[in-house]
Amino acid sequence: MPIYNAPLKEIDQKETRRYAGLNKSEFNSKAIADACTEVQLLAEAKGIWQLYDYIAATGKVAAVPPASIEGTKIRCHLALAEKVIFMAVTIGDTVEEQITAHFQEGKYSHSLLLDAAATTAVEQAADAMEKTIRQKIVPQGYEMLWRFSPGYGDWDIHFQPEMIRLSQATNIGISLTESMMLLPRKSITAVIGLVPNQLAPSAASEHNCQICSKTDCLARKK
Amino acid sequence: MIYVFDGAMGTMLQAAGLQPGDCPEMLNIENPAVVEKIHAAYIESGADIIETNTFGASRLKLEHYGLADRAKEINQAAVKAAKAAAAGQAKVAGAMGPTGRFIAPLGDLDFDEAYAAFFEQATALAEAGADYILIETSIDIQEMRAALLAAKTATRLPVICQMSYSEDGRTVTGTDPQTAAITLEALGADIIGANCSLGPEQLIPIIKILAANCSKPISAQPNAGMPHLINGKTIFPMSAEAMGAWAPKLIEAGASFIGGCCGTTPTHIAALKNAVRNLTPAIRSKQAPILALTSRTKTVFIDKDLPTRLIGERINPTGRKKLAEEIKNGSFLSVKKDAIEQVHAGAAVLDVNMGVAGMNQTAAMRKAITEISQLVDVPLAIDTSDAAALEAGLKAYPGRALINSVSAEPERLEKFLPLAKKYGAAILCLPISSAGVPKTAQERTALIEEIIAEAQQFGLKSGDFLLDGLVMTAAADANAGSETLETLRLYREVFGYPTTMGLSNISFGLPNRPLINSTFFAMCLAAGLDAPIMNPYDDSMQNSLLASAALLGKDPNARAYSMNTVNQNAPKKAATAKFVEMDTLTAIKTAVINGETESIAALVETALGEGCTSEEITEKSLTAAMNTIGIDFGQGRVFLPQVLLSAEAMRAAFLKIKEILPAQNMQNKGTVVIATVKGDVHDLGKNIVAALLENNGFKLIDLGKDVDAETIVRTALENDADIVGLCALMTTTMVQIDHVIESLKAAGSSAKVMVGGAVLTQEYADQAGADAYAHDGVIAVNLAKDLLKK
Repeated sequence: MPIYNAPLKEIDQKETRRYAGLNKSEFNSKAIADACTEVQLLAEAKGIWQLYDYIAATGKVAAVPPASIEGTKIRCHLALAEKVIFMAVTIGDTVEEQITAHFQEGKYSHSLLLDAAATTAVEQAADAMEKTIRQKIVPQGYEMLWRFSPGYGDWDIHFQPEMIRLSQATNIGISLTESMMLLPRKSITAVIGLVPNQLAPSAASEHNCQICSKTDCLARKK
Repeated sequence: MIYVFDGAMGTMLQAAGLQPGDCPEMLNIENPAVVEKIHAAYIESGADIIETNTFGASRLKLEHYGLADRAKEINQAAVKAAKAAAAGQAKVAGAMGPTGRFIAPLGDLDFDEAYAAFFEQATALAEAGADYILIETSIDIQEMRAALLAAKTATRLPVICQMSYSEDGRTVTGTDPQTAAITLEALGADIIGANCSLGPEQLIPIIKILAANCSKPISAQPNAGMPHLINGKTIFPMSAEAMGAWAPKLIEAGASFIGGCCGTTPTHIAALKNAVRNLTPAIRSKQAPILALTSRTKTVFIDKDLPTRLIGERINPTGRKKLAEEIKNGSFLSVKKDAIEQVHAGAAVLDVNMGVAGMNQTAAMRKAITEISQLVDVPLAIDTSDAAALEAGLKAYPGRALINSVSAEPERLEKFLPLAKKYGAAILCLPISSAGVPKTAQERTALIEEIIAEAQQFGLKSGDFLLDGLVMTAAADANAGSETLETLRLYREVFGYPTTMGLSNISFGLPNRPLINSTFFAMCLAAGLDAPIMNPYDDSMQNSLLASAALLGKDPNARAYSMNTVNQNAPKKAATAKFVEMDTLTAIKTAVINGETESIAALVETALGEGCTSEEITEKSLTAAMNTIGIDFGQGRVFLPQVLLSAEAMRAAFLKIKEILPAQNMQNKGTVVIATVKGDVHDLGKNIVAALLENNGFKLIDLGKDVDAETIVRTALENDADIVGLCALMTTTMVQIDHVIESLKAAGSSAKVMVGGAVLTQEYADQAGADAYAHDGVIAVNLAKDLLKK
């Protein structure tokens, strides 16, 4: 079931506030709602995923040709995994173009909120795809670890070409710049470890901001 | 009688030696004796119905093994093996499992391609002599619709539809059991059920909901509990005895067909058989069917005893030139916007009309229905007079739609009613005949009787009808209003079905139309209007609805009405009151701090009129305001979006000054060339810094993103830049900063270099030889000022 284009029936306003750096401070809630609606209209969510066997001891992904995951934190994160899913999600270019267009018109604040809503949208699309994957793999006796992307912790961003290959992200229009940036900009690639449910009753915990070294991140959860 | 299905096939095949990676269905041809033996074991355990080994035998699944072209042969061999084992003692259900792909727009599989694959499979199963078609483990209602439509068209066999629900009580793509039951019964499913994913315990509540929402027999085929992985093998822990113990509870919940899915064996089936041997099906409560429309994820009931349901009418290009033009050009942005906003405004159903003159409605309807159903979860009404467009919409729609509309005109009846039946849609009955529009309530009622009688011939029944009261223009006919009211009363008395209508016709040609509309609306609600087709943005109609609901007992204790009235009467924020006493320069400063862009131009105009110079406004109001904002931002009292609102207000002020004093040289604190470095495509952060600098009196040359060193150096030299601002967001592009700084120095530039971006730090800036590191836009403004002081 490799392709899943998640419907976005609502863009989470709370998350949008967080990505805009607003957290709990007062701000015009209509402006946030408007940005969320605009992103909902413009987002073209697409997602793809592929499943591979994984040998935790060596970090080897049983693809053809095989891939090798390096990095202490990611290897530790996947230590109990027997399979891995490589996934990619994007919401397309249209939103990005609108963010730039609004900024050029002098709608600075709206542009920033749109950017935050777009980040929320691509995360939601990834969450929705994870949910469909979960419903497929839980009946097989696995738990899912939270998704992890190159560039976090000590997982080298130069693994991105492998992420694109392993997830087959080009099929949904994602490409990579020489500097390892995903295009469209609002895209995600990630790996999810699958752990036998008896080994990992609590392994599938939520994404945890505390593991990230970027302590001054605008959206860091306290 | 309770019927017992068999248990798992895959597990048994593995036990019989099927290797991982082999096609299980190929055994039907290569080793039918193994398959037959498994069937025989289940029959011996007491199975009344056995399932063919064809779960993955659609062309789309067989493709994985290069066996697509053998689909027919494989399915027929499977039925042959099953029938041989059954030897007349058990019935044979031809199993059809999922394709493994999602149907567009959720995935990349075309609806017609899925339909064709299921059609081929169902045909083969039926030809070989299957007694049922069993569509099972479906996780997406749209795939189930394709399979069911194919099975109903290809065969005359009873079709069992089993979806697979997760622990949250929904299928993978979000369908709840109520919605599934209603949608599938309307589409012609003969038995409705659930299998796989869950154990018997978790399946009980789902079976209860299925049973409560349709009149078809219910089937339940749980897994042997929730699985564990042991040494790479998926183990289902539930024993046969434990499984048997759950059987009476599944029967009590409403199932009359029961069997097993993953992990169940002939022993489990024997235990089930034993447990239900002396049981009879539970008695299901029989309620009069009420009109239900569904989307992929939601059911909406329309009935006289329920709250009024608004049908949003805005997605209609009639009289909306701009919308018509957009649809014609293939843009559905406004359509989608109206969908979202009407739902926010309270619409429970959306009417979709693509009637643009000179355009192929079919493609537009397919696209509109597809896109809208991805975006909102309310059911849709397909509003068209074109049968091809109607069918395209019905096929694309992953639920039970409303057809708007079926009149008593022979052509409509002939073409629309079979489509309604085939796709399980409800119909809006419009009392218009070839003879025209009847004036009296009696005539309208007679026409509705005709439509319903004809619809019943095609198999439609109670619960499929929504009756239109028909509204004529009061200005043209003094009795128009009273006849419509009488029609609504008569409909309720004669049929008892829910009613609808578009209202605004009533006021055509009269002054103050909103008053006529809302007054008439209230009267109609009292006379029995259940689902008005209206503009949900219309406040007077919404208010009338709220008040009517309170008066008609549909809003207990007038709670919704009171809440709304309190909200409306709440004092608006007196945002400007306290500024009245201020001098204009202070007022401008305050407006900038508060980000009140809309009031700033007038204030600037006043200030200039009062004799203030542009320098005074800049220094005393604008710069002062930005200083305050900067301090508040630095101390965490305001946040970036607020700072940007203030910058927008500053921009509006500068634009106004330029407009009034075009000759005036605006203050120039210095020239800044700014860019996101080569290889980096992030530019929002850089844009924010540029905007803040520009609105603080700097001359900005923004080179954009992904800019190479050469361009930056050349631009800096050509413009005699005072500052070069460089932005990089990633570790991979950060090194470009070093490169640009070296190049600037090599070219003899005297510009100061300021750097920033997510991954940058003061240490990095220092080692790269930058003059300043700005953590954020506000700091950048202060640093820029400082750099030029030196």
